[in-house]
Amino acid sequence: MHEPGVLDDAGAHYVQSLGPWGQRLYAVTRWFAIAGGIGFIALVTMSLVSIIGRKIASTPVPGDIEIMQMGTAIASAAMLAFCEMDRQHLRVDFFTAKLSAKIRHVLDALSHLILAVVALVIAWRTGLSALSLNEAGETSVILGWPVWAVVAGLVPSFLLLAIAGLYNAVHSTSSSVMEDVA
Amino acid sequence: MSGMSIGMIMFGTLMLLLVLRVHIGIAMFVIGAAGFVVMFDFSWLPLLNTLKNLAYARFSNYDLAVIPVFMLMGQFATNGGLSRALFRCVNNFVGHMRGGVAMAAIGACASFGAICGSSLATAATMGQVALPELRRYNYSGALATGALAAGGTLGIMIPPSVPLVIYAVLTQESIGKLFMAAIIPGILAMVGYMIVIRIVVTLNPDAGPAGERVPLAAALRSLLGVLPILLVFVVVIVGIYDGWANPTEAASIGAAACGILAVVTGGMRIEGLIKSLVGTAQATAMIFLVLLGADMLNAGLALTQMPAELAAWVQGSGLPPLSVIFAILLIYIFLGCVMDSLAMILLTIPIFYPIVMGLDFWGMSVPDKSLWFGILALMVVEIGLVHPPVGMNIYIINRLAKDVPVMETFKGVLPFLASDLVRIVLLVFFPVISLYLVHTFGA
Repeated sequence: MHEPGVLDDAGAHYVQSLGPWGQRLYAVTRWFAIAGGIGFIALVTMSLVSIIGRKIASTPVPGDIEIMQMGTAIASAAMLAFCEMDRQHLRVDFFTAKLSAKIRHVLDALSHLILAVVALVIAWRTGLSALSLNEAGETSVILGWPVWAVVAGLVPSFLLLAIAGLYNAVHSTSSSVMEDVA
Repeated sequence: MSGMSIGMIMFGTLMLLLVLRVHIGIAMFVIGAAGFVVMFDFSWLPLLNTLKNLAYARFSNYDLAVIPVFMLMGQFATNGGLSRALFRCVNNFVGHMRGGVAMAAIGACASFGAICGSSLATAATMGQVALPELRRYNYSGALATGALAAGGTLGIMIPPSVPLVIYAVLTQESIGKLFMAAIIPGILAMVGYMIVIRIVVTLNPDAGPAGERVPLAAALRSLLGVLPILLVFVVVIVGIYDGWANPTEAASIGAAACGILAVVTGGMRIEGLIKSLVGTAQATAMIFLVLLGADMLNAGLALTQMPAELAAWVQGSGLPPLSVIFAILLIYIFLGCVMDSLAMILLTIPIFYPIVMGLDFWGMSVPDKSLWFGILALMVVEIGLVHPPVGMNIYIINRLAKDVPVMETFKGVLPFLASDLVRIVLLVFFPVISLYLVHTFGA
């Protein structure tokens, strides 16, 4: 566990240790993450326009809170898979640090597998929820946007998280960033 | 089986999963889901229904939207080189004193903490800027790295502070009031660290020689250069507290301002921007996965009613409130040996908060107690960053100072830890330190 964007030198050679498919997966998750970040820049801009509009002309961006909520949901979900690909999701390393590398790899494979299963379950339930919201024709309170589409926007991110988890479960023997740091 | 014992079993199993390297958020999720199923007599339907809305409800929470925005702000500040300007400015004022360059590093950490909500980022970025200077003036490895590792915790202790946002969301507390309450304790932390440096260099003058004196005019000019950064802090904190912007809007203003500063004065370009976005993504994802798991865990725990029962039991047990609070603080220090601060807050606040709220501390009102405990919890979880064995700040600084052995850094950080403990005891006995600003500027 280290602060992202700070110790990038450890990350670069980790990427090279991935196989061709791993590198592609890494690139896809990274683009999801960057897209999520761009989403937040857009949300920040929207928020600024809204507050300036409200203070100066008493005309905020209509439904600004709704946009922020929907945007945050989609953008932050898009960031999850990259964090898994980079093996940065928080865990307790302390008790197993002294175990043999082999045992640790088995435990790691299991934990990534559990993560993948949880991500799949969430993708499945969230997808179902989007379907039933679509049938019910539910729209957001102020803007009248279809809620189902926004909820459905979370599904690809959780599917990608599941894929990244599965990849890591299979490839847990390749060196991880965390070991390089510690 | 009673809800209480199911709750206890849940916690025990959770700890086991954590020991076995399951990701913290995922372990919380699995245990919460299991508790859910058990409490509904092994029927899966309620769980499956809850899961339908879990992810969207959590991720679309308006208050939590502030976290990625603060992360973005901190990343802009980090990749925009704002840390260098801050360090130079503080150094111009105090660098000529004995131990002054280390004090400048502490002061710069504190001011960087005012625009960055992360300890590790503060330690890392300040380490890159200040370490070469400290070594140039022949500061001892222990003092140089110890001061930076401790100074990094100011990143969290001085608002904006992500653990406080999470505390606020968990307890329905006001983010603005918590930030306000954290200001004096944060400044106290900074002053405490500076006093520690003073004592260290008095005992051992070779540890921190004096730097060069800078003419006052030049020092004042450098102050002018960092004024925008201080302005950002004031706008964000006052904006939130005063209520003319909600936390997310105020954070947006801060993020935009830091982004502009990073481009204009820090020369940030596309590469730096992408680095900022990737860094934001990782920090956000880390936090949100744990948030998601904590949501499930708390849903399961709430069904067992274990938190409420435990609180009632503590209240009825006649234990002196002060021993309870010190026991809680001790638990945090032990958990800090193995766990990240955010995970600790998410895991323990649902249990500890009702306990603390049920006890009497010097007749404090419930809103006051809630703020007071929030600040205490923040201070004590941050200690975990600088004490063995995990002490992430220590490892980050140590990676930057390749010639200083880790043990040296651990030794160097000890006096700072002592000042942390003194401050926490002060905060326990004098709630007014946390509450003063909130009361003075209260609506």
